[in-house]
Amino acid sequence: MASQLFREWAGIQQFPAATQTKLLELLGKLKQENVNTLTILVMGKGGVGKSSTVNSIVGERAVAVSAFQSEGPRPVMVSRTRAGFNLHIIDTPGLIEGGYVNFQTLEIIKRFLLEKSIDVLLYVDRLDTYRVDNLDKQIVRAITDSFGKEIWKKALIVLTHAQLSPPDCLEYDVFFARRSEALLKVVRSGAKIKKQDTWGSNIPFALVENSGRCNKNKNEEKIIAGGTAWIPNLVKTIIDVTLNGSKAIKVDKKLVEGPNPNRKWKEFIPLIFAVQYFFIIKPIQRAIKQDIAREARPAWEMRDTGSPLRKY
Amino acid sequence: MPTFAASCHLFNATLSPTLSSRRRRLPSSASRNPSTAPSVKYSTPSKNPTSNSPPTLNPPVFTSLRKPFLAATAAAAAAASFSVLLHFSPVELCGGGFNPPGSGTGGGGGGGGGGGDFGGGGFWRKIFSAMPAAADELENTEWDSHGLPANIVVQLNKLSGFKKYKLSEILFFDKRRWTTVGTEDSFFEMVSLRPGGIYTKSQLQKELETLATCGMFEKVDMEGKTNPDGTMKLTISFTESTWQSADRFRCINVGLMPQSKPIEMDPDMTDKEKLDYYRSQEKDYRRRIDRARPCLLPASVHREILQMLRDQGKVSARLLQKIRDRVQKWYHDEGYACAQVVNFGNLNTKEVVCEVVEGDITQLLIQFQDKLGNVVEGNTQFPIIRRELPKQLRQGHVFNIEAGKQALRNVNSLALFSNIEVNPRPDEKNEGGIIVEIKLKELEQKQAEVSTEWSIVPGHGGRPTLASLQPGGTVSFEHRNIKGLNRSILGSVTTSNFLNPQDDLSFKLEYVHPYLDGVYNLTNRTLRASCFNSRKLSPVFTGGPGIDEVPPIWVDRAGMKANITENLTRQSKFTYGIVMEEVTTRDESSHISPNGQRVLPSGGISADGPPTTLSGTGVDRMAFIQANITRDNTKYVNGAIVGQRNVFQLDQGLGIGSKFPFFNRHQLTCTGFFQLKQVEEGAGKPPPPVLVLHGHYGGCVGDLPSYDAFTIGGPYSVRGYNMGELGAARNILELAAELRIPVKNTHMYIFAEHGNDLGSSKLVKGNPTEVYRRLGHGSSYGFGVKFGLVRAEYAVDHNSSTGSVFLRFGERF
Repeated sequence: MASQLFREWAGIQQFPAATQTKLLELLGKLKQENVNTLTILVMGKGGVGKSSTVNSIVGERAVAVSAFQSEGPRPVMVSRTRAGFNLHIIDTPGLIEGGYVNFQTLEIIKRFLLEKSIDVLLYVDRLDTYRVDNLDKQIVRAITDSFGKEIWKKALIVLTHAQLSPPDCLEYDVFFARRSEALLKVVRSGAKIKKQDTWGSNIPFALVENSGRCNKNKNEEKIIAGGTAWIPNLVKTIIDVTLNGSKAIKVDKKLVEGPNPNRKWKEFIPLIFAVQYFFIIKPIQRAIKQDIAREARPAWEMRDTGSPLRKY
Repeated sequence: MPTFAASCHLFNATLSPTLSSRRRRLPSSASRNPSTAPSVKYSTPSKNPTSNSPPTLNPPVFTSLRKPFLAATAAAAAAASFSVLLHFSPVELCGGGFNPPGSGTGGGGGGGGGGGDFGGGGFWRKIFSAMPAAADELENTEWDSHGLPANIVVQLNKLSGFKKYKLSEILFFDKRRWTTVGTEDSFFEMVSLRPGGIYTKSQLQKELETLATCGMFEKVDMEGKTNPDGTMKLTISFTESTWQSADRFRCINVGLMPQSKPIEMDPDMTDKEKLDYYRSQEKDYRRRIDRARPCLLPASVHREILQMLRDQGKVSARLLQKIRDRVQKWYHDEGYACAQVVNFGNLNTKEVVCEVVEGDITQLLIQFQDKLGNVVEGNTQFPIIRRELPKQLRQGHVFNIEAGKQALRNVNSLALFSNIEVNPRPDEKNEGGIIVEIKLKELEQKQAEVSTEWSIVPGHGGRPTLASLQPGGTVSFEHRNIKGLNRSILGSVTTSNFLNPQDDLSFKLEYVHPYLDGVYNLTNRTLRASCFNSRKLSPVFTGGPGIDEVPPIWVDRAGMKANITENLTRQSKFTYGIVMEEVTTRDESSHISPNGQRVLPSGGISADGPPTTLSGTGVDRMAFIQANITRDNTKYVNGAIVGQRNVFQLDQGLGIGSKFPFFNRHQLTCTGFFQLKQVEEGAGKPPPPVLVLHGHYGGCVGDLPSYDAFTIGGPYSVRGYNMGELGAARNILELAAELRIPVKNTHMYIFAEHGNDLGSSKLVKGNPTEVYRRLGHGSSYGFGVKFGLVRAEYAVDHNSSTGSVFLRFGERF
């Protein structure tokens, strides 16, 4: 059944010969490590080029890309097999909606990922954005809250629109360093990664340029500044992350639903009830008794309290 | 007449002014207002006291509450070396509906009729207000000139018996001091004559007799001086009675004691016989003092009077009058409206004995009246009423007006009577005794009510159509006071559309059973059992500031509950009971919705929001224990509320119901109203500034369906936000402070409030706070003015820093 679903990775043949060679080499490396399946989760803001990146990796138009509208609320899984190796790429809708993190979407993504394990997270953002803001932090936090801090060990920050001329005569490298530095900082704070955790600052970056006008080298490979062919480089980074020793994130029911808050402390309820009775209700009752004793009675009530001994 | 009436539909707040207006009347009837004084008259005792008459008790003379007379023969004081009894007559107490003979005609009748108006029997004509006195003067504007040369002195007996003399002026001449005393002198009130009044000779003679026999004077004379214009100047010259100085004071309650009757003394007694007679008189009096009960008069007033005695040296009539006024003032100030100084005894000894009739209650009568005021047999059982009456109103206690008011308030709070009167009246059988009558008009036991209304709902295109006309209304019935034990059954059905009642039919059926531990038991526990249903818009499914509209979720609750309320004080109570309910969550079109809805940016609606119920089906059934303890010691200081209120509410799930809900949902509310300045209490005085501090913690452990989540924001949570605008959480903390400053009749206030979800929003299933983009916390501040029940306030929402004006009903705290 699975073989029916998984289409042959035909797109790989569209890559220039040099790229193909490199990719097959990398896949071979995975085979060596006995990794037959690779699941990649792509997440990020809307419109940063998640779907395009997916398409670029697969080498075909697997996912519909629309420039102005979000892909719709459903995640899409693209599965390809090549010589016994299965590649799954899960493209997700943008997490931002109307200036807020859309938890609904996140919820859908989580449910979609149920019973899958994530080998690599591609956190996609644009390189040509100059600033990071609170929203980035919120996305990182939302992802962390959903999948746990551990997911950042399997993460790879992808910066799209990498073919750009940096502003204000900055060196491209300097600009990239600054941008990646800022993003890392956001990730570290958003995911609440402690400073002493060095892995937090070692989240790898990959540059991507999905545009058709991307510069190419003599081998017809798409290159970015510095001359590196970015597709092999991206795949290499992905495989590096896969093999970095951290465990893949297994999405199970518990992770999706989170710890059931209704369960928490439930066994202590009888104890809580007892505490409330003895330490809240009883003291209030005592206070009321004091109130009664302290109540300012009118003089006439005080004066004539005796029982009527007089007989008539 | 100190009568209190309260209509049953009046609130307590409106009750008090009713009372106070009555109260104001009371002192006026008890005060010795000079303008009313002349209207108090008395008829001459049949036999004239002579200088030989026994130096003992006078024939019974009466005085009204307003103006007790000292009635002792002047001669008696001189003659007796033994004790002299100065006798105030037993009193027509409190004016409670007692009409002396003759007053029926005499009250409105002209004063010019003189003594003839006063039907015999030794009664005064009682005139309750200054009006008849004024009428006297109005009616008799015609007077006769004296017909004598001007500026000559005329003796009283030289005046003509047929003329009506007009008095231009009345002078008092103290022979002992040899001075003329002004009208402000305490003696002036003894005289009923007024300058400008018109009197006949017999009236003047009567007045003179009155003065002569009242015991205040050793000797009184009256003479006129003619004026050129035909009027007369009247001079009353007197010698004040005095007795030897005293250094002890004693106050005794002689109420209900038989009045000592004078034994006729034979004028032919020998000196020895006289001596024996006086001795026996003295002995009797001693016995009387011993038998008398002690007074309520406190030691402080005692000391005050002793000081008066010491300062004065000789005991004079004026001093006795002063003592009487002081003692009576204390009694009346303390609410003993029926207390009356009737006599001073033991004069000419070292001790002054002040005899007081305090107004002992001899009987407590509870009567039911029908609509026409006829006495009927009531349905209500007496113990129900009796337990509401303060002990001080029972037989054997001294009647106090405040106790009467208390009784009125308590009985009124039963809500069984349309009219309540607490009415003291003198006991004819026991002189000096008071019968407290409580007259009650019962409300109808069964009552049914239908109220209807038409509502026009805009139809298609916003135009109202005939079909959109909806008949709605309420049908309610009430069966009160079942078995006369104040048990009741209440039921009501409300719908906004009788044609289609399933849409929003709400009903309530309640049975109330008070006195669960018996009517005679002091513990006041009430059992309430009710079936109910209700429909409310859930504030959990409300959007935050950025969201325009969240499709509403209606929470329908239907079920039964039974609880027992123990009233610990008037305001503090402890309630515990069990609730069984079915909660159904519905969307706008009344379809059961297991999840909240949200509007997608595309405009579509997706029904995949947070779950609305615990079961996930949209219908939850559960049973739980509910307990609530309220400690409330707040009171009103000049209209401002001061004190503390603590409320702890607990819902303890029992694991019975859908998905076996087991939870502990608790809320603690503490509100303190701190008076910032000591103020003098009393009607019309300004209220003090008050600082209100308020804290509210709510939390839940265990299963928490979203409809039971605590919401933050709203007029009773954090002002300046909509209901639930700040979030819905598992644990919340709200803090508020308000400063109230009195301005004229009302107060202004400034406030600051904060609500926080303590990070527990995510612990509610589906995290509705985040789904509907709420912040989870927020503050606000603002100011406002209170107009009666309405608060007008300007609140600034601190999250968006925008302010808005709100009009709200009722109190925030």
